[in-house]
Amino acid sequence: MRARLREWWLRFLGTFTRPDGMEDELRFHLEMAEQEALRRGAPPGELARQARLRAGGVTQAAEAVREQRSIGWLGDFLRDSRHGARLLAKSPLFTTAAILSLALGIGANTAIFSLIDAVMLRMMPVHEPERLVQFVKYRETDRRGSFSYPLYRRFRSELHSFDGLLARFPVGRREASFGVEPEIVNAELVSGNYYSVLGVSAIAGRTFDEDADRNPSPVAVISYAFWKRRFGMDPGVVGRAFRLNRTVFTIVGVTPPEFFGVAVGESPDVAFPLTMDGEVRGSQSMLHCVGCGWLQVIGRLRAGQSLTGAQAEVSTLFSGIVQAQAQREENGLYRQEALSQRMRLEPAGNGLDTLRVRFSEPLRILMGIVALVLLIACANLANLLLGRAAARRREIGVRMAIGAGRGRVIRQLLAEGLLLAVAGGVMSLLLACWSANALVTVMSNGGARIALNIRPDLRVLSFAAAISIGACLLFSLAPAIQASRVGIQPVLAEARGARWRLGRGLIAAQVAISLVLLIGAGLFGRTLLRLYSLETGFDRSNVLLFSVNSDHASLRGSELRARILQDLRSIPGIASASYGMSPIGPSGWDGSITVEGYTFGPNEDDRVLLNAVEPDYFKTLRTPVVLGREFGPRDTGSGPKVAVVNEAFARRYFRDRSPLGKWVNMTGETDRREIVGVVKDVRLPSIRQQVQPAMYIALAQRGDPGWGGYIVRGTVNRAMVDGALKRIDPKLRSDDVSTLEEHLSRGILKERVMGTLSGLFGALSLLLVSVGIYGVMAFQVARRQKEIGIRMALGARPHQVIGMVLVETAAPVAIGVITGVAGALALTRVAEKMLFGVKPTDPLTFAAAGTLLVTLALTAAYLPSRAAGRLSPVETLRCE
Amino acid sequence: MANRAKADVLQGTLDLMILQTVATMGPLHGYAVAERLEQVSGGSLQLNMGTLYPGLVRLEQRGFIRAEWDRTENNRRARYYSITAAGRRQLSAEKAEWTRMASIMHAVLQKEEAK
Repeated sequence: MRARLREWWLRFLGTFTRPDGMEDELRFHLEMAEQEALRRGAPPGELARQARLRAGGVTQAAEAVREQRSIGWLGDFLRDSRHGARLLAKSPLFTTAAILSLALGIGANTAIFSLIDAVMLRMMPVHEPERLVQFVKYRETDRRGSFSYPLYRRFRSELHSFDGLLARFPVGRREASFGVEPEIVNAELVSGNYYSVLGVSAIAGRTFDEDADRNPSPVAVISYAFWKRRFGMDPGVVGRAFRLNRTVFTIVGVTPPEFFGVAVGESPDVAFPLTMDGEVRGSQSMLHCVGCGWLQVIGRLRAGQSLTGAQAEVSTLFSGIVQAQAQREENGLYRQEALSQRMRLEPAGNGLDTLRVRFSEPLRILMGIVALVLLIACANLANLLLGRAAARRREIGVRMAIGAGRGRVIRQLLAEGLLLAVAGGVMSLLLACWSANALVTVMSNGGARIALNIRPDLRVLSFAAAISIGACLLFSLAPAIQASRVGIQPVLAEARGARWRLGRGLIAAQVAISLVLLIGAGLFGRTLLRLYSLETGFDRSNVLLFSVNSDHASLRGSELRARILQDLRSIPGIASASYGMSPIGPSGWDGSITVEGYTFGPNEDDRVLLNAVEPDYFKTLRTPVVLGREFGPRDTGSGPKVAVVNEAFARRYFRDRSPLGKWVNMTGETDRREIVGVVKDVRLPSIRQQVQPAMYIALAQRGDPGWGGYIVRGTVNRAMVDGALKRIDPKLRSDDVSTLEEHLSRGILKERVMGTLSGLFGALSLLLVSVGIYGVMAFQVARRQKEIGIRMALGARPHQVIGMVLVETAAPVAIGVITGVAGALALTRVAEKMLFGVKPTDPLTFAAAGTLLVTLALTAAYLPSRAAGRLSPVETLRCE
Repeated sequence: MANRAKADVLQGTLDLMILQTVATMGPLHGYAVAERLEQVSGGSLQLNMGTLYPGLVRLEQRGFIRAEWDRTENNRRARYYSITAAGRRQLSAEKAEWTRMASIMHAVLQKEEAK
């Protein structure tokens, strides 16, 4: 066996080298045979002949030895490649165009695939990731993956299908002081068993253990990346203390380099025990809150435990919890809602699904788009190769005449295609790395960079290799088969006709695919336009949003807020300033209400969106006050309680009557609030938002929520804000600073990405199709010079010649358009959910895309046809 | 397929014969191998170069023999083949297999003839 392997390995090597001295050896053999013949008394003139008779010819023997020294097909392939490379080098323009378009096509595919790989496919580097499942709660279509701590504890103690259940909470950016200056770190809270459930152990120090769940202690585990970035991998980092808020924590360990946490894209720097949540978040602990859904829960199934079995156990436990909850609800609607909740286990071996949920749909659609672009590029190349094969008719004919089989000729042409594919594939990897990186930046959307590992792994590389080879077969097989027919078919005209049929088919296919892409781009583009031209109820320009970190400051709460607002308003250039619990809300807070003069049905939804804001809030947003007034300095905690409602609220509860002077009462509050104003509906926090009834209350008339943000209108920037804060207290600093425009464009990230990328790829496909049609028609005209010359000599006018060429193009284009429209009708529905204000079958978009494509296609065909019309009959005929 | 199998058998036999010759006669050049085989077979085995040299190359590739350039008695440059340790192991294994096979064949043919 080893001997055989050795033989094949040496034969493989031998394929690339020449035998040394083999000819000498054979000649020596012959000479010896001659001497032998001489000894036997052969006449001198006969020596050579006799020796040859006994030992055979040198050439044949050398050939037999070469066969043994190398691998036949590999040698053929190398020779073909060398030949192909020489030919390609002879036409640099064609070669460059081919490699570039392949690199673009393959690169786009590889880039999108590497994102899909990183976001959706890659397994976490933990122990047996396939046994990890994530808990997800469904309420009708609403999908939620976060739970309260008491519920998590119940799961942990009552479920038996699991080896362990971990919980975590992404805290996000926090200020920690390792030295003098505070630094921003990305923090998370994890349950004590987090690392043991995942099977991740520390590479320095230790991780947490279950004891951390019982006895809260101020310790922290840092990530490898943070260890490297912040401490230069100092081995003395274990045991180092740092301050976060008012607590001093000690670093007890470092996690391994390949471990980025369980949430794809988050990559936290520091992990704290869940039981320290109050200290880490700098506010009241949520451990005892029953109504707070904040923890993400992942379980490790027992070895051999089926997902179905575990699911059954979880469902049983959860339906008991839900029924108890439903019994407490009086409103039938809410009881129904509570009962409709389901707990589902979903595979989490590739991490928590936050990014997956957000990006899997756009990524899938993009994957489809780039695949189509690659198809167009392949069709283009196939057409170009057809033309080249026609030009090489003689060469191929000669090869076949001297005995090369058809398979051999096809293999030779395929080798040339493979060269192009490999060159394109290698270039595409560079392009893919770069563009995947750029895409991650776009996806991060101006916020903290999504920490995605997009270094190409084996899967991405195999993907790139596979599509390169697939593309090679696609674009070079048909032309190669076509070309190999030339030699054996004496009737050249027939082969030529077949080639033209194939060429027309390719044009039709290109047009069809390109039309699908253009229609898609049109739909996404119109979606974007719709979103930008929407009536939003506010003025988005010149508004700055920020929050203030006051962890270390002496002033706090409403006192600090009043001071900051007062100082901001005194800055020249700032027209108005305000503050809101959700500064660009209402969002995230709703509550049940009763309204004067309105009777709720027994099953009617009595919840409205709520927001608590400071005076001048609507003035700062420039939201028109339709009736009454907005909040002012008079609306203090001791004054009469007031509320402002939006138009949707007014329509819903007061129809055409005026709500001014009517009261509303929020469940859980004793005092009624008088409605003093009605404002326009605002589409916030996202302009894709559906408008719902909303009520605003004065912040001063509510207990301090402990969170919220500032909103300032005017020519203002971060430096001005920081300056103002510093004058109040040097320890104050601004956080989450962005303009309202930035914030809004972040909210429509998916739409922007799809709009720009689909537009880009649509344009690319148009370019490829135009070049393709131009190339094919120019080749057709050149080939038919003689025929055109005769026609013109017989009296055909230039415009008739032009018309003839155009009609020939129009047929495949028309077929392409019809197929394309049919394809688009079938395909655009896939993207329906991502569209806004435009139907997937929008006739205007279809018509515009079709017109654009047909115009360009005919223009591309017109140029060569005009050249045909200019042909001089005398000269063309003389040429022949 | 049948042709292919036959060729393999012949190739195996040829390899065995070359190996045996090189093993008993010490370092030999290609011509001497052919001459020796012709002599031993009483002239019935005439190897031409197209059969002999691929066989030598194959045995060398499998590591059973090794080749070195040297001078002949007449001071001519020639390539000398000698057996390796792996070659000796292979030779004794093949020989045993060949003898076993031959005795089986012999027994079978004898018996069938006797009927």
